[in-house]
Amino acid sequence: MNEGENILESSKGPIVLGIIIGVLAAIIQGLTISAGGPEAYGFCALCHTRDLVNGILNILLGTNLGLAALSKTAILPVLTMIGVLIGGVIAAKMSREFRIKHAQIKDILVYFIGGVLLMQFGLLFGACPYRAALRVGYGDFVAVFGIIGILAGVWLALIMITRSFKGGN
Amino acid sequence: MAAGWISMELSLILVPFITLVSGCIIGYFAQKTGFCAIGGFRDYIMFRHTRLLNGFIAMIISAAVAFFIFNMITPMAFENFPWMMTKGLLSAVPGAPADLSQVAYIILALIGGVGMGVIGVYVGGCPLRQFVMTAEGSMKSLWFVIGMVVGSVIFYLVTSGFVVGLMKSMGL
Repeated sequence: MNEGENILESSKGPIVLGIIIGVLAAIIQGLTISAGGPEAYGFCALCHTRDLVNGILNILLGTNLGLAALSKTAILPVLTMIGVLIGGVIAAKMSREFRIKHAQIKDILVYFIGGVLLMQFGLLFGACPYRAALRVGYGDFVAVFGIIGILAGVWLALIMITRSFKGGN
Repeated sequence: MAAGWISMELSLILVPFITLVSGCIIGYFAQKTGFCAIGGFRDYIMFRHTRLLNGFIAMIISAAVAFFIFNMITPMAFENFPWMMTKGLLSAVPGAPADLSQVAYIILALIGGVGMGVIGVYVGGCPLRQFVMTAEGSMKSLWFVIGMVVGSVIFYLVTSGFVVGLMKSMGL
């Protein structure tokens, strides 16, 4: 293991990635804003998934599902999340952490419904936690309410989980 | 019309490539570091661990600094920065369903945030973490991603219209 890998796996690792995402998002906005908005849209795990899915469906089926102006005008919608999968597989293969972990039917249902619901909540806010951070960085005070909401939601879920453990479940 | 660093024609062609490359970089580092926004909040509330939370804070600060510096060099590409100074304190950057009042966007931000926080804890990670765990071979996370894909379509067929109608009927 070399020096760089140690830094990433140490306590400083997330800070390095946080800085990478912040700076990349600004560079991406500089490069792509001529193709259309919105602002602070350099990286979003939810919106970019939405753009990819709806953009491809619009191209293939001629539907008119909503997506960001940027992905509507470009020759293809944003491919960020395809990239995340590719980068993730490369990193996992390199560190030999790639391992197929099967899921049970109950898990499949919970995670599938979780994915559908999280998309609804996230798109109502118009951001995942990452774009919320970028929006705050862009000076959007409303996004602060979103981050407060996420914090409250995490706190609420942890209380519910702790209660159910104490209840003997 | 905002003007970026490259021409509109070039931009229209390059959008998918630029985002694909940036996604690869983020995905690679996210796997190496275990980066997760919701996990950061969870670890802090439960154990006062700040490793992941620091990453989230670093992202906000570095984005603000990068926007600030690039805005000084090429203001046309970073219109209305800083947003709350040019557009008003309670104006939101576009992204949520259009044509609602400022109060409605604050309510949606709070509801959306709480929903994401609760679900994120129950499935053990934010959307980015789910993509990365899918890349590591987790079938559970793959089904979460499939749920997000289906959810994208459902949002525009059902949820968006319903919520906008609800907000408007309440005078928001």
